Amino acid sequence: MNSGSRRKTIDTVLKVALAVLVFTLPLWIKNPTYMQILIFMLLYAYLTTSWNLVGGFAGVLPLGHSAYVGIGAYTSTILWITWGVSPWLGMWVGAFIAAVVGTIIGIPTLKLRGAYFALSTMAFGEGVRVLAENTVKVGPCVVGGPQGICLPLVPGNNLALFQFVSKTPYYYIILIMLCIALFITWHISRIRPGYYLAAGGEEPEAAEALGVNVSKYKVWAMALSCFMTALGGTFLAQLTLYFYPKQILGLDFSFELAFIALIGGRGTIAGPVIGALLLRPVSEFTRIYLSSVLPGLHLVIFGAILILVMIYQPFGLVRPLSRFYDRMLDALSGEKKKER
Amino acid sequence: MALIEIKDISKHFGGLKAVDQVSISIEKGQIYGLIGPNGAGKSTLFNCVAGLYPPTSGKVIYDGEDITGWKPWNVCRKGLARTFQIVKPFQKRTVLYNVMVGSFLKTSNPSEARDRAMEVLKRFNLADKWNILAGNLTIADRKRLEIARAMATEPDVLLLDESMAGLRPNEVDETLDEIRKIRDSGVTIFMIEHIMRAIMTVSDRITVIQFGKKIMDGTPQEVANDERVIKAYLGESYGAA
Amino acid sequence: MDFDIILQAIINGLLTGSYYGLAALGLTLIFGVIKVINFAHGSLLMVGMFTAYWIVKLTGWNPYAALLVVVPLLFLFGYGLQGFLIKPVLIAQRDVREPTEVIIVTTGVWYILDNLALMLFGAEYRVVQTSVSGQIFMLGDYIFPKPQLYGFIITAATSFLLVWFLKYTKMGKAIRAASLDRDAASLMGINQYRVYNIAFGIGAAIAGIVGCVLIPFYYVFPTVGVVFDVKCFIIVVLGGLGSIPGALVGGAIIGLIESIFAQFIASTWTELIVYVVFLAVLFIRPAGLFGEKRDW
Ligand SMILES: Nc1ncnc2c1ncn2[C@@H]1O[C@H](COP(=O)(O)OP(=O)(O)O)[C@@H](O)[C@H]1O
Ligand SMILES: [Mg+2]
Repeated sequence: MNSGSRRKTIDTVLKVALAVLVFTLPLWIKNPTYMQILIFMLLYAYLTTSWNLVGGFAGVLPLGHSAYVGIGAYTSTILWITWGVSPWLGMWVGAFIAAVVGTIIGIPTLKLRGAYFALSTMAFGEGVRVLAENTVKVGPCVVGGPQGICLPLVPGNNLALFQFVSKTPYYYIILIMLCIALFITWHISRIRPGYYLAAGGEEPEAAEALGVNVSKYKVWAMALSCFMTALGGTFLAQLTLYFYPKQILGLDFSFELAFIALIGGRGTIAGPVIGALLLRPVSEFTRIYLSSVLPGLHLVIFGAILILVMIYQPFGLVRPLSRFYDRMLDALSGEKKKER
Repeated sequence: MALIEIKDISKHFGGLKAVDQVSISIEKGQIYGLIGPNGAGKSTLFNCVAGLYPPTSGKVIYDGEDITGWKPWNVCRKGLARTFQIVKPFQKRTVLYNVMVGSFLKTSNPSEARDRAMEVLKRFNLADKWNILAGNLTIADRKRLEIARAMATEPDVLLLDESMAGLRPNEVDETLDEIRKIRDSGVTIFMIEHIMRAIMTVSDRITVIQFGKKIMDGTPQEVANDERVIKAYLGESYGAA
Repeated sequence: MDFDIILQAIINGLLTGSYYGLAALGLTLIFGVIKVINFAHGSLLMVGMFTAYWIVKLTGWNPYAALLVVVPLLFLFGYGLQGFLIKPVLIAQRDVREPTEVIIVTTGVWYILDNLALMLFGAEYRVVQTSVSGQIFMLGDYIFPKPQLYGFIITAATSFLLVWFLKYTKMGKAIRAASLDRDAASLMGINQYRVYNIAFGIGAAIAGIVGCVLIPFYYVFPTVGVVFDVKCFIIVVLGGLGSIPGALVGGAIIGLIESIFAQFIASTWTELIVYVVFLAVLFIRPAGLFGEKRDW
């Protein structure tokens, strides 16, 4: 047996087992509340993976991505309610609009230093929220103002209209969306645009001197990121069947996406997933169990966790976790990881 | 017709004339030196040529084409690669990654870019460090990486901004050898250097500037014997190397 | 439209804009020096406000006397915040051009402070009757509410003091040097991180001053800072991040927009106008009115 192969086998077995577990989870978990928490975890992982395209790889900090979630949700829902367009079609329209809007916002701001971009996107997100809160109706389209929109219920599990009574279809839809998004980021990170994005994010002048039109690549990343984010917005609308500006276009939502990425490990492929896996349960459970005891305490704990992680692992949790995984493999196989 | 014609370039920052009406012409295959005391405007002149900012007035003609005010990435694609005086490696990435960003200019195929980058690393004696994060390199290796990365774009002209500052004498000699080799491979070199000894030994021709103005140009011999140059340099530490 | 009404709206806008500008001043100072967006800025303002509230409520002091307590308290608070929580992250990221990860820390502080206030004082909106509350000063037919007028004066005085401090004291010069180049302060023989601590302390103290200014005419509640946070961010981007005149002018612009448009349209729509103007400026002058496209 050549060296390292035992380690490799264990590695493969663990990963296959994990994949099997993830894909069969709905068979074990029957409690709809836990399913809902899992679905949200995957949704946040998906949205953060989309965020990561621009926030991680392009090295800027978008703080208004809820705007694109909202654009996706509002577009597909309004198209469906007003003209009977299936959300499966409407989600692409929403994604396209989001990409155009993201490009328009990105062109002036992505040329600037990061802080301007962060604050500008944040203000833009707030602007979209205020706009939605002030708009009750546009022509035949009901936007709903601050009350938001309630999606009419469709009986039974209706695949064509993207509505299900059971949670299981939602689980698989978002799981597949997440896998595709992860594949896209993985692929991009290995080809020229990925190298150019990362280079431009770290040292724009050096990248430009090497022939990279940095802002062009950043704008592309922004457009793609907004596109993918809006698809997740439609999913969120179909999952909850009710949304309103303060929630879907809220600042908290935008911030949470950024937090998940930063805690997980910005600019890494696994970071958003790990961040969502760790942060979502913390915020869900502290909210469920503590907010009735002492309102606010769960957010104090949440804030403290954020600070502690940043002080002790400023580059996110992916690094220590993968080191831990490596050491675990070493121990299980009795072999050392080969330095490539 | 010279390969690079810098015609009456000026660059003003507010009231400060950092570069004032400087003209230089560089022949193909030359190593051309640009010297002058600190703050003379050398880097500013480079930045105008490389497109970091447009000159206030004047022209840069490259190979018969007016490239004044071109964006840096277009200048690079045209075949002029540059290094920075304050090196700017992608610190969180490996040495190989750094060089691959350069080699992606001529190919979009990742494995080809990787092969070409490894070739360049071998040329610059960095091959065994390919997997080290650039932020962990020594100063000398960072400077070398800066040149390697620029060379990975396979340029026709290399602009070097103080590539030897801060190096030990033996490292300076190694870099001088490398520069000669690059020239021998057919690349025209335009270099800024503060260390007199270094630039005198490799340059075919030298321009001296002070307070943004050109004092003179000529062969290393002529420059070394010129009153004005000695005066300009005596103001500070002559031959700091 | 009546000319008098417009002029009164301009007066109101400038008075409001002055404390907006003052709130943004601390933010822009911290950003200019440390390159960190202080998301806890509104929360510091809230802390200042609650402190002033309790002082006035319990002792019946003049609200401006509370400055004597609030300013040193917030300075120390900001100094410690930077020294204990932000500095470790800054050190870990010193190779990074812009340490954006630090905003997680400042946001964590925001969550903690706002929710501690919620736990301690509850969510209700509180007002305290002060000796200047509701008083006005008339100039011809125009009304100057006294608390706002004093706020304007305090803004002017604070800005003047800050500029003087930055220009003429050794520490001020070190702060300015550090804002241009991270290592410059060390060259002047002053520890870089001490400069940061002090800059952060001053920024926090200014947020505290705004808290005191607001007490006579504004509600106090745990999330009051959020109202000002977003406004301040718009103001500093509008004016140019790191620019002191930018913060003051940006504050005046936002104040004027709010009060003038309120004469014509519903207040929920004036909020939207603020964002539209903000986006317009972003397209025309992306680096803000007073900002420079400078390399940090
Ligand atoms: N971006 C800039 N803005 C303002 N002044 C600058 C800028 N870049 C350089 N300068 C000034 O221009 C002069 C020349 O600088 P530089 O070209 O870097 O000199 P050298 O490279 O010869 O040492 C210096 O006085 C410097 O302070
Ligand atoms: Mg220079």
